[in-house]
Amino acid sequence: MAVIEAIATTYLEADAASVTFSSIPATYEHLQLRMSVRDGSTGTYGEIGLQFNTVTTTTYSYHRMTGNNSTAAAAAYTGVNNIALNYVVAEGDIATSYTSIVVDILDYANGSKNTTTSTMLGTATGTTNWAMAHSGLWDSTAAVNEIKVIYRWGPDIKRGSEFTLYGLNSS
Amino acid sequence: MAAFTVIDHEELTGAAATWTSATIPSSYDHLYLTISARGALAGSNDYEYVDVQFNGEVTGTNYSSTILWAGSTTPGSAREAGVNGLDRLILMNADGSTADTFGNASIWIPNYANTANYKQALGKFGCENADATAWHWLIGVGAGLWSSTAAITSITIDPQNGDLMQYSSFTLYGVTGA
Repeated sequence: MAVIEAIATTYLEADAASVTFSSIPATYEHLQLRMSVRDGSTGTYGEIGLQFNTVTTTTYSYHRMTGNNSTAAAAAYTGVNNIALNYVVAEGDIATSYTSIVVDILDYANGSKNTTTSTMLGTATGTTNWAMAHSGLWDSTAAVNEIKVIYRWGPDIKRGSEFTLYGLNSS
Repeated sequence: MAAFTVIDHEELTGAAATWTSATIPSSYDHLYLTISARGALAGSNDYEYVDVQFNGEVTGTNYSSTILWAGSTTPGSAREAGVNGLDRLILMNADGSTADTFGNASIWIPNYANTANYKQALGKFGCENADATAWHWLIGVGAGLWSSTAAITSITIDPQNGDLMQYSSFTLYGVTGA
């Protein structure tokens, strides 16, 4: 058995409102979601979000640390209905650019732990330049069996975006 | 040969002062450690400092680490040197944070078995909390130096102010090149 296994990949042949990984088995120790994403909003950047197990209530929090050219900043959000990943390149920017995102979800199936995410995100187009370290919380001890990637600014996630979910084993 | 191999994995069945992976073989190129952990430090403490130590070395002047972090709207940086471990590499949740929430951290240690160079480590962490108040949450990245040419044969995770809580888990991977 390989230590790292690809659970599923979705490549958008057309614009889509969301991407869902469902029926995620509980047999891995950790999950990693790798994304190459472009947001459909009209500005130079937009936002996407993560939701678990079809839960859309305000049980999510997230915190981020960003660098934008020479400016560093941070922000905190609680009581929201998804874990937002900000500064995703959008339709107002260079046509061929996509944001790179890696999300680690450790011990996602442990019924004694809330679900947390740790994310690194990079958007560098020359026009839009962001580096971000990010963490998220879903205040639930339920095992994660579904991950939904949604647009926040929208109206969609653009064609050519790609999403791969990996499972990491521990034995 | 697989690029990633599991060297060690443990989920604590009770509180423990430290976690150690004690018999790391030298046959890989790099190490990758994932940590989902919560410290027992309670009260108003939402996060906990952690000493990352190698080969049982718990004192001396060989450790230094530098962190880029944010716990408010203003990111900052800090460095510690000549202390008992790499204590600005990662942090973890403490027991004052939202119940059942464990810190999410990872550490890369490239070329850990070479005997010519000092060892560098790269950390990434999030201390999540359902709280937007400044310094009730923490995220960051850290760089660490162990000024020793010895091959790394053990890694210890030691919270500075209390035990590791039950369900804290650690997975150590060996990573090979082609």
